[in-house]
Amino acid sequence: MATQKPRILIADDEKNIRFTMTHALERSGYEIAAAVNGEDALKQLEAAEFDLLLLDLRMPGMDGMEVLREAAERYPGTRVVIVTAHGTVENAVEAVKLGAADFIQKPFSPTEIRDLVAQILDRGHIRTEEAHDYATHLALAKRSINQRRLAAATAYVKQAIAADPGRPEAFNLLGVLQEIEGDRHGALKNYRIALDLNPSYEPARRNLSRSGEPPIPGTLSLG
Amino acid sequence: MDRSDLYIIVAGCGRLGARLASELSRTGSSVVVIDRDPSRFAALTAEFSGFHLTGDAIEQEVLRSAKIEQADCFLATTNQDNINLMLAQVAKVIYGVPLVMARIYDPLRSPVYERLGIDTISPTELSAQEFLRMITARAGLEPASALRNGR
Repeated sequence: MATQKPRILIADDEKNIRFTMTHALERSGYEIAAAVNGEDALKQLEAAEFDLLLLDLRMPGMDGMEVLREAAERYPGTRVVIVTAHGTVENAVEAVKLGAADFIQKPFSPTEIRDLVAQILDRGHIRTEEAHDYATHLALAKRSINQRRLAAATAYVKQAIAADPGRPEAFNLLGVLQEIEGDRHGALKNYRIALDLNPSYEPARRNLSRSGEPPIPGTLSLG
Repeated sequence: MDRSDLYIIVAGCGRLGARLASELSRTGSSVVVIDRDPSRFAALTAEFSGFHLTGDAIEQEVLRSAKIEQADCFLATTNQDNINLMLAQVAKVIYGVPLVMARIYDPLRSPVYERLGIDTISPTELSAQEFLRMITARAGLEPASALRNGR
């Protein structure tokens, strides 16, 4: 079984996106199947076993969120990556709460989708319930920042805060994200929250003193 | 680099942008085309299998949502020289895109930008060269009066 190729199902109503994803992934040696809508995706999940489902949230007919709900319940061995349009992060966050392993925003480069799929498949069979802890969300957030996947990073940071609102690291990262996105005011606020929670938390102190003045170039401290 | 691994951003989906985006996509590159006017995307051919993004490429937020920091190549093909040059500089200097090219109508501006590492293509210059080449080729063959009389 270990030598079997990982099987990936791509569910997207746009031909372009199915083509782009297939093209990027088949060269990594995966076995790829495509579904043109939600109903088709569930039919294929029923007919054969898949390691990964790449799922567009917005499809005509049965939408991605319903597919995700069904898939998470009936096929827990299939991990789900949500494919979203730019600016629809709220839905993606909702999807991660429903059990999606990760999400990727359109447009994406071939390298980006390949790396993400490889990471998810490598992550092994960590069940999503186990992954819902502070440290995991924090690690996923840092990884996303380093990959410049800022929307994903923000979603993870918020989950980390929800998991444990009493620790400084996540607030510091939230500040970093706001600073990257140009919201200096919000950033300062979160650096201060991090410092209030733990006055000796060095990364937040550095970020605060660096960004407290009119923009000074310097390195953002991820902690 | 493997051609089908290239991630290419085309800013401006006019006749040139649409043509380039369609051809690059057809030959296997992953292409994102940006235009302020979504009706422009109709000019892409059926073979285009990339992404399109509606927005003004001079806004950094738009460039970031196109994931410019991952791009291997950036083509500035709006219909304005100044915009193309600005976009090309942003792509080169701020985001460090390895290959940046801009369409420039006014050939006199080209040398300045070539010094900055931005390749420019001037349709004016290319057409002029082609006109001159044809004139030279013809001139040696027949007198104009003979051509006009249809011989």
